[in-house]
Amino acid sequence: MTEAIYPQVRIVSARFLRPDTVEKLLNRLVRVGGILRMSLTGQNLPATVPYGPARGKPNPHPDRKVIRIGDQDVQLQVQVGNVILELEDESYIPAIEEAVDEVFADKDFSCTVQKGRFMKSRPTVSDYAKYGPDVDREVLGLVDPRKKGGPVIIQGNK
Amino acid sequence: MNEVKRNMAYKPQFGPGTSNVAANRRKQMDPNQKLEKMRDVTDEDIVLILGHRAPGAAYPTSHPPLAEQQEPDCPIRKIVTPTEGAKAGDRVRYIQFTDSMFFAPCHPYQRSYTECYRFRGIDPGTLSGRQIVECRERDLEKYSKELIETELLDPARTGIRGATVHGHSLRLAENGMMFDMLQRSVLGEDGIVRYVKNQIGEPLDRAVAVGKPLDEKWLKAHTTIFHSLGGTAYRDDKEYVEYVQRIHTLRTKYGFLPKEA
Repeated sequence: MTEAIYPQVRIVSARFLRPDTVEKLLNRLVRVGGILRMSLTGQNLPATVPYGPARGKPNPHPDRKVIRIGDQDVQLQVQVGNVILELEDESYIPAIEEAVDEVFADKDFSCTVQKGRFMKSRPTVSDYAKYGPDVDREVLGLVDPRKKGGPVIIQGNK
Repeated sequence: MNEVKRNMAYKPQFGPGTSNVAANRRKQMDPNQKLEKMRDVTDEDIVLILGHRAPGAAYPTSHPPLAEQQEPDCPIRKIVTPTEGAKAGDRVRYIQFTDSMFFAPCHPYQRSYTECYRFRGIDPGTLSGRQIVECRERDLEKYSKELIETELLDPARTGIRGATVHGHSLRLAENGMMFDMLQRSVLGEDGIVRYVKNQIGEPLDRAVAVGKPLDEKWLKAHTTIFHSLGGTAYRDDKEYVEYVQRIHTLRTKYGFLPKEA
């Protein structure tokens, strides 16, 4: 769960992003700093075929890659469409807009930065029913808390 | 193939509308109009993409050939000529398509209409994001070839997907391909789209090339999808709207069983 005092932005591109574009964008954002939490959302790319006649067979997908952000390797599990950020304060937003413009300057599609509330701030009754009372509040509302493997922590420069 | 009765009592109109989109729809549906051939795909490639049998293998059958079995005395059987697949007793198999909302050349309802006008012995199934057509296996291969080689398919915006079809309403990928969780078709460095998996997602022994994606201008000129962002808006085609409203009104009123005065 997030503290409602922190501002949030969502970076939405008009196309799904390739892993190398995501890597470039996120490394640029990390350099801006001021990011408390970040979530990559998009369509799931499962490691095995989840249903249908080929169920259970390996699903090699060129976009399911490990990318390097800051000093950490991150396994992409989705085809990234949106990046949601939680920031320390609003002063970082212009720098983030600038970073996004820089990364997408040579692309033939647009990308916008939206301000608003994109992460869940209170657990719902459904969350309680699904995950119980002792759920990790750090990730609730961003990913399925039952998922193995916690968040990737990218060390800041403070 | 196009064995539509020539001396019908009326001339089919195929659909209303004055817009380009409506004209494209009529063109696809009208069996007297030849669809533009856009690419060459071999018979073996089609068999590979479909994934129902190994290339070169005999067609498995579900019943003996019609010539070898005693047919009941049925007037309908005397009128209807069986298709090649039915004559041989082939199994019923399918091909399924997903069409992106971003100006794909065809879309599910349109596909079903088009196939019903152009092909025989088929059972199309229309869903919001996908369209399946079932028929006898050797007929299917013949029809699939037409569906894949002609302007009904764009390698980037149309997917041949037997399962896990999700993607028609999503953003396109950076390279212009429609999202596919199983990534059956891949856009190569040379700009050619190749199928690396069959329609249900099993890897193929060799990639099947289906040609270059068509450009945005061609797609917008040949699409059968109304799209208010960047294309022809549905509401701009007054005749189409009027027709749909008329059908809607009539069927609503009919629900109340109106009595003519």
